[in-house]
Amino acid sequence: MLRDERRRRLADAMSEARIDALVVYGNAWQGDYLRYASDFGILEGSGIAIVTADGRAELFLDSATEIERAEGETSGLALNLAPDLAHAVAKHLARLGNRRIAAAPQRFLPSYLADPGRGFALEDGTALFDRLLMHKVAAEHDALRRAAAIADEAYLVFREAAQPGRRQYELTAAVEAFLRRKGCPDNFMILGSGGKDVLGMTPPSDRLVAAGDLVTTELTPAIEGYYAQICRTLVVGRANDAQRRAHALYLEALEAGIAAVRPGATAADVARAENDVFRKHGFGDYVTDQYTRVRGHGLGLFADSKPHILEDVHTNLVPGMAIVVHPNTYHPEVGYMVLGDSVLVTETGAEVLTRTPRELFETGV
Amino acid sequence: MRRGLIAWSKAELPEAALAARVARAQVAMGQAGLAALLCYSNNTRPAAASYLCGFVPYWSEGVMLLPREGSPYLVVALSKRVATWIEATSRVARVISTGRFGAEAAKAIAAAGGGTVGVADLDNFPAGIASDMRGAGATLADATALFAELRAAADPAELALGARAAAIAHAALARISGAEADTGAAIAAVEDHARVSGAEECYVSAAPDLAHDRRLLRIEGRVALGASYAIRATVAYKGTWVRLARTLVRDPARADLPRKAAERFAAAVASLPDTAGFAGMTSWLIEGCRIAQPLEPLAGARLATPHALEPGRLVTVQATLEIDGVPIVLAAPALIGAAGAPAALLVPPVF
Repeated sequence: MLRDERRRRLADAMSEARIDALVVYGNAWQGDYLRYASDFGILEGSGIAIVTADGRAELFLDSATEIERAEGETSGLALNLAPDLAHAVAKHLARLGNRRIAAAPQRFLPSYLADPGRGFALEDGTALFDRLLMHKVAAEHDALRRAAAIADEAYLVFREAAQPGRRQYELTAAVEAFLRRKGCPDNFMILGSGGKDVLGMTPPSDRLVAAGDLVTTELTPAIEGYYAQICRTLVVGRANDAQRRAHALYLEALEAGIAAVRPGATAADVARAENDVFRKHGFGDYVTDQYTRVRGHGLGLFADSKPHILEDVHTNLVPGMAIVVHPNTYHPEVGYMVLGDSVLVTETGAEVLTRTPRELFETGV
Repeated sequence: MRRGLIAWSKAELPEAALAARVARAQVAMGQAGLAALLCYSNNTRPAAASYLCGFVPYWSEGVMLLPREGSPYLVVALSKRVATWIEATSRVARVISTGRFGAEAAKAIAAAGGGTVGVADLDNFPAGIASDMRGAGATLADATALFAELRAAADPAELALGARAAAIAHAALARISGAEADTGAAIAAVEDHARVSGAEECYVSAAPDLAHDRRLLRIEGRVALGASYAIRATVAYKGTWVRLARTLVRDPARADLPRKAAERFAAAVASLPDTAGFAGMTSWLIEGCRIAQPLEPLAGARLATPHALEPGRLVTVQATLEIDGVPIVLAAPALIGAAGAPAALLVPPVF
């Protein structure tokens, strides 16, 4: 079972690092570490799991609604409702005496726990945990494949919903309702619609979809907590020549990025392969942080996991990692455009998980 | 991560309402000797910052800084490219986008003359940001009590947004026909309506078969619905959060039980802040917003140390009670009465 395998891997990593206890923080934004340690997908408030070297785990949640959910959705954990989370966890840690304790992700830990006056010291266990999150096992790949399959289906729903006269948030509603109907409990999506005025994607606004708009989205549904992402662009109506030329550029960049995915390559190699295509065609200015954030990122229990695909990130790609490659950026002739697929790093290269054709779709025609 | 409609409607959240909140905060800051008030925000702890400036991050994080005089401003980790979106959805003087926003926030405070920075919920402020700020010379003090007192009683704008959120959740739950075969169909009906109605967020949980388990869970996969089941909608609308729950009993001879339970529930709510009315119920919980968490537990059967339910506070009440041996789950938002008025539900429970 995936939950047991994660706990075993975590216990092994702690043993190897000679850590006696690991303090793992999470909230709905940065919930991957906590989900890995406790199997609980937190939605509201904050949670902290304390995992000890003997494999035992105790979960503290500050939301009474969430503790009820954790009682029904997890097993093998001691659960504590702790409205005063930092103080409750501090009291527990104080009982561990001078044993070696690490925390992950340490940056997000309540400041009360990091205060040197607490009587315990917390080392930074984030890097140890990041390795577990990035280097995935077969059961995690299976969840990602299923998430990618439902992402493909959800994009079809998005295409059908993106009709002239509909508001952006109605498109999101259609996708979310579809996912819930299928039993998929979570998704991350942002979108954009319009032309050269659109610099990126955001949560939906009440802007009306109009003829001629480029409509962009990244859809990121999760299965068993594992997120897979698809990025596509469609045109409301017939695509014009400029839009087609622009899309061809993004397609070339995506293909170059995916071709660069293989064991031994780095995140920087993939980013460079994508960006070189833009530079080759005279659009090098548009791969800077003025116009784009990342050229892809890791996938897993967080929709925007490590490694970030950037030319200055030198994380090695190893078999089992999952990333999305997406040369999303602004194009000066047509506006913001996206195209991206989820991939697994294999022994020989990349297994592409999302199957939606890499087309510039036309809708409302 | 948030994917509903995040928008600032000046008709629903007037500039004057936000300005009045800021002015009250600045008076309290002056009395406490604070040079600035800092409210940390991410998408699970957005409520303190959104109370003062309307900002709700759909993901990532940042801090809202309110100087002793003037308008609040934001220092955020979100990219520069969404600064326009932030400015359109918030009432702020400026937006600073930067990776190391703790240090940048400390620099901005120093540039404005320095002084002590009051942090709402300092104990839960992320350690890395606190460290960055202190490293850049900021002096942090706990402003939790100051902030909690400021926002205890709901103002007319918060009440109106709460009423709108409640109406959305009520109508969304009413979309369940009772003929749905499984949780997927019921949850989709609720969530679709809530999002199409402009909800900023919607979490739907279910107890698919109350005869076996009364806990409301986030359902993965599709689960068959039992003879009686409960669905809860947690809806956020422009920064204000409420919960409503509905129990459906399929047996026509017992279909009236939720209505009977709702009458007892409403009577118990009317006696708040006295919680004695909930004593005979299987479980009960009162939540509301004190600082940054939109729905923080305030009182309940499982809470050892309840918070005060101040007059004029907007709360969400949940309870499970048994009627003729059938568990009925109910939830609805309520306003704790001010000036001797009884507490009142914002909308009646759905049944």
